[in-house]
Amino acid sequence: MQKFITEQNFNTLIDRLIGAGKRVVAPKLNAGTVLYEPLSGSGEMVLDQLPRRSGKEAFFPLCEDIVSYEKEGQKVKLTDIDPALFPETLLVAVRPCDTAAIPVLDAVFSWDYKDQFFLERRNKTTIIGLACTSSDDACFCTAVGISPDDRRGSDLFMTQLEGGGYLCETHSEKGEALLTAHAELFTEPNSQKAKPLAKPEVEKVDLQKVKAWLDNNFEDPAWDSIATRCVGCGACAFVCPACHCFDIVDEGTEKSGKRRKNWDACGFWKFTHHASGHNPRDGQPKRYRNRIMHKFKYYDDKFGQTLCTGCGRCIRLCPVGIDIAEIVGDISRKN
Amino acid sequence: MTMIDTTSYTLISEAIKTEAKRILTDGTVTAVVGYAAARRKGSVQPIVITTPEDADKLLFSKGAVNNLAVYLTKAKKEIPKTGRIGIVVKGCDLKALVGLMGESQLKRENLYLIGIPCSGVLGSIIQPDTELTEDTIAPKCLECDVHMPTGCDFIPQGAPITPELEKKYAAEIARLEALTPAERWSYWKEQFSKCIKCYACRQVCPFCFCEQCLCDRNKPQMVESTPRPAGNFAWHVIRAMHLAGRCAGCAECERVCPMDIPLNLLNRKMAKELKELYDHEAGLEINEKGPLSMFNEKDDQSFIK
Ligand code: SF4
Ligand code: SF4
Ligand code: SF4
Ligand code: SF4
Repeated sequence: MQKFITEQNFNTLIDRLIGAGKRVVAPKLNAGTVLYEPLSGSGEMVLDQLPRRSGKEAFFPLCEDIVSYEKEGQKVKLTDIDPALFPETLLVAVRPCDTAAIPVLDAVFSWDYKDQFFLERRNKTTIIGLACTSSDDACFCTAVGISPDDRRGSDLFMTQLEGGGYLCETHSEKGEALLTAHAELFTEPNSQKAKPLAKPEVEKVDLQKVKAWLDNNFEDPAWDSIATRCVGCGACAFVCPACHCFDIVDEGTEKSGKRRKNWDACGFWKFTHHASGHNPRDGQPKRYRNRIMHKFKYYDDKFGQTLCTGCGRCIRLCPVGIDIAEIVGDISRKN
Repeated sequence: MTMIDTTSYTLISEAIKTEAKRILTDGTVTAVVGYAAARRKGSVQPIVITTPEDADKLLFSKGAVNNLAVYLTKAKKEIPKTGRIGIVVKGCDLKALVGLMGESQLKRENLYLIGIPCSGVLGSIIQPDTELTEDTIAPKCLECDVHMPTGCDFIPQGAPITPELEKKYAAEIARLEALTPAERWSYWKEQFSKCIKCYACRQVCPFCFCEQCLCDRNKPQMVESTPRPAGNFAWHVIRAMHLAGRCAGCAECERVCPMDIPLNLLNRKMAKELKELYDHEAGLEINEKGPLSMFNEKDDQSFIK
């Protein structure tokens, strides 16, 4: 289904949903930084900037409680967090590099173990994607097979039109339901042209060649020259729409507390630190190698896709200028 | 808007290449830690070179933001620490090296210091292809007293050009000091709420060289690792306290924070207190007795009530 909506009606739609108690999450300025955050009104939306962190946190929050405990005498009372209480959410103005990562996350969180926290949030969220009209030299979605108007992961996809307003295209039942429920705000599509799409200036990477090299070069001196500079923080993994590692911690007192699920990062020294004290990834190049291997080989081996959508966030934010597009491009040119 | 003149960086880059080639060829050093160009226009990466041929990769530019001293600490085991090592340093980075020497982490004779006559670098390299102006220059550069480092083994020719501009840190610290404690708390509460515990601030800090940070302890856990108010507050207070009297003001922690938290305000406020209380300042003289690691009978005791 394709419909047209004016900017004003789009804002009305957002405000109406918020008014009806729906949780609407969109890019918004938060103490100086644009993040996907719940809105209190459509005026807060920031549509011309890629949020600093990705949209994954709508389903996979930075931290969440999974169970709480209370101890009375010898008895321990456990209280589960009930995913049924997660709110229905509308996730708005999500860039294609973020939406395209969502099916990638779906595969992991519903593979051998069904992660009810992720899946329940996912079921309750309707995603409105937004075509990209500007890019910088860190963007490389087109190099890894994604496009600035990629529909993957969107329930409803919006394209900005030259004369204002958006062309809306439904891609799932959720998208259709949203459009139908507010039909009076939409009109039939007109002949207006779409704003030109962003054009990242990058060459397409042959991901099969990258994988073939990774298959055979676990031990290669290149890892040292690429990643000796890596300082081992979590910046790249935490801003990435596709990274999905987490750590389980128990926090509280001996009387009561919570078991929590927090984002983790393979760049951290602690990530593979065994209880014995041994660390199989005993240097930063080995840890960074895992980042590349997981994204361009292991994930592909298991799920037949790449764990990178080319959003460029890790490139912009790496403290030491490590550039995954450059690394993967270099690998694709190796024999 | 005032532009910052960095034309001297071209000749400085040439001089670094020549000197690095010389000291690697004649065996003065086993490696040189410096800056090299990366893919994006204007972007720079730290690099460790060990052969004279690689010296041509070295450069200095407005994007040479990193404090390379971090690579010489014991936290960075990947960098070979055998023999003498050459390192490219801005004045602010040199203060960090001097601090590390004072803490017996490095020996002067094991270093070959290539000092930079520095007019300033960018405050952020998220978009590295940015002109250096009074708005984009790192705020630390506006308050820098070591544009021309001293005590180095080699300094390329060039005179830093440093127009008098407004001191942003001083103004911001004054603004925060004038707030009531409740207002100040609400400011920091909002800032800390953005922290995602990525520890980029810790990982780039030359003084965060503990082999296991207290905040990484889990047997037992000392600080909540969850990025929630309690753990975030603990993390930032511990870090500010642990760096008091040590922080060299390189502001790397603040530059790398992906959540734009103005972290260096905390460190700079602590530095200001230490200056007032103990007349201590991070500088270019090796000082083995940091103000918070020694006791002096003449110290102000009036806070003990
Ligand atoms: S690649 Fe960059 S962002 Fe990632 S862990 Fe290393 S230093 Fe941190
Ligand atoms: S690896 Fe980097 S560029 Fe790729 S999706 Fe993650 S943050 Fe974006
Ligand atoms: S605390 Fe920040 S400013 Fe101070 S030395 Fe460490 S990284 Fe540099
Ligand atoms: S760099 Fe910023 S977000 Fe990361 S741990 Fe430090 S303060 Fe928190």
